[in-house]
Amino acid sequence: MTSFNVIRWIVWKDFVTELRSRETISSMVFFALIVILIFSFSFSMDQQAAREVIAGIMWVAFAFTGIIGLGKSFSTELQNDCLEALQMVPEAKGAIYLGKVAANFAFMFLVEILLFPMFVILFNLEVVEEISLLLLIFLLATVGLSAIGTLFSALTVQIRAREVMLPILLLPLVVPVMIAAVEATKGALNGDPLALYEQWLELLAVYDVVFTVVSFWMFDFVMDS
Amino acid sequence: MTIHRVIRKVQRFQGWFGGGAALCLMAGLYLGLIGSPPDYYQGEVVRIMYIHVPLAHTALLAYIVLTIGSLWYLWKRDPIVDNMCQAVAGLSAVFTALALGTGMIWGKPTWDTWWTWDARLTSFTVLLLILIGYLMLRTFVDDPEKEARYGAILAIVGFVDLPIIHFSVEWWRTLHQPQSISMRGVSISSGLLVPLLFMSVGMSLLFSYMLMVRTQLLYLDRLLHAKKGRLLSQFHLSKSDS
Repeated sequence: MTSFNVIRWIVWKDFVTELRSRETISSMVFFALIVILIFSFSFSMDQQAAREVIAGIMWVAFAFTGIIGLGKSFSTELQNDCLEALQMVPEAKGAIYLGKVAANFAFMFLVEILLFPMFVILFNLEVVEEISLLLLIFLLATVGLSAIGTLFSALTVQIRAREVMLPILLLPLVVPVMIAAVEATKGALNGDPLALYEQWLELLAVYDVVFTVVSFWMFDFVMDS
Repeated sequence: MTIHRVIRKVQRFQGWFGGGAALCLMAGLYLGLIGSPPDYYQGEVVRIMYIHVPLAHTALLAYIVLTIGSLWYLWKRDPIVDNMCQAVAGLSAVFTALALGTGMIWGKPTWDTWWTWDARLTSFTVLLLILIGYLMLRTFVDDPEKEARYGAILAIVGFVDLPIIHFSVEWWRTLHQPQSISMRGVSISSGLLVPLLFMSVGMSLLFSYMLMVRTQLLYLDRLLHAKKGRLLSQFHLSKSDS
């Protein structure tokens, strides 16, 4: 089995598990809906005020739901000692990492695509022109979140209080992603010229590359035992 | 185990580090609080700089030491290096918290606010959060080897992240509003620089001294635990024999 096959099989396995159990994506979507609901209670918004805060609300919801998905990514492997089985894969550990990143990215991105229309409807947004740009922002930010999140999901899965420790460790480290994603989304929703927030997209791209490489390297040390 | 020999050699000078720290800090405090002139703009308030700036420098120095130690641990898997990492993480958290605290005290009279989402303040807060996360992570892992490995991974990832966090926060602030408050009002003249230098050197020496003591303590603690485990198992074995 080549490394590429390992990646493919892990993605396939995660998708099949998800199709059969329907645990991760449904819990992510419903959690995000509740977050949206609570935010709409917290701020009474007209359309003007919504434009100012909507990007922040959106990314808080995406990050929290992402953490739910990331936490499940490795905690499901604890059943029947699947984690040990993964550790016994003879290929490089990095292949497992890339497979898990791909699966986590797919789940998070799918949930974001499902949720975005909710935001558009509930907060009366007009996004017809910037939709491809918004997709690019979602893509870049989600790659960053899943790249570093997968590493910490694997790291926290074998410790006590893992549900608490994953967000505590992860959220400070994704501060750049959150800032960049919120600023870029705000710019795109306001219809600003791209030049004004181009640098945030570049920052997201740099973050993605740096943390995919660093996490790929560090994942070897998480898994070796 | 060459690192042990190096550490033992350095430990012999532990007293010199402590004494040097005491001398430098006393000289720096005298020069800073009494010997130097008050600042033209800030008056007597500027004297907190002699504490704040060295604390902040030492906090960053400590994080660099933590990263080097973590890389070393992942490379050599030497438990004493991990004891050093644990010691330096605690110290780094203390120095970062103190730098933030003194910064807030300094900010109140000069910027007329305890807190502002200034780039440097924000990135130091994130640094403190990462360090607290590091210390929490270590308490939640049962296996000591795993504890050391996971801590090292977090420290290295955090080190790579820190410059990116700093730049992103800086851009974020400068895009929103021009930085109305900046520290550039303080012009560094030689009268201010000399006590600052003494305090910086003294604080670094103090940090090194504390690091040595704490590393030694954690090392002995680990030995003690190992010994206790051995004694207990011997005790149980002798009981099951009879």
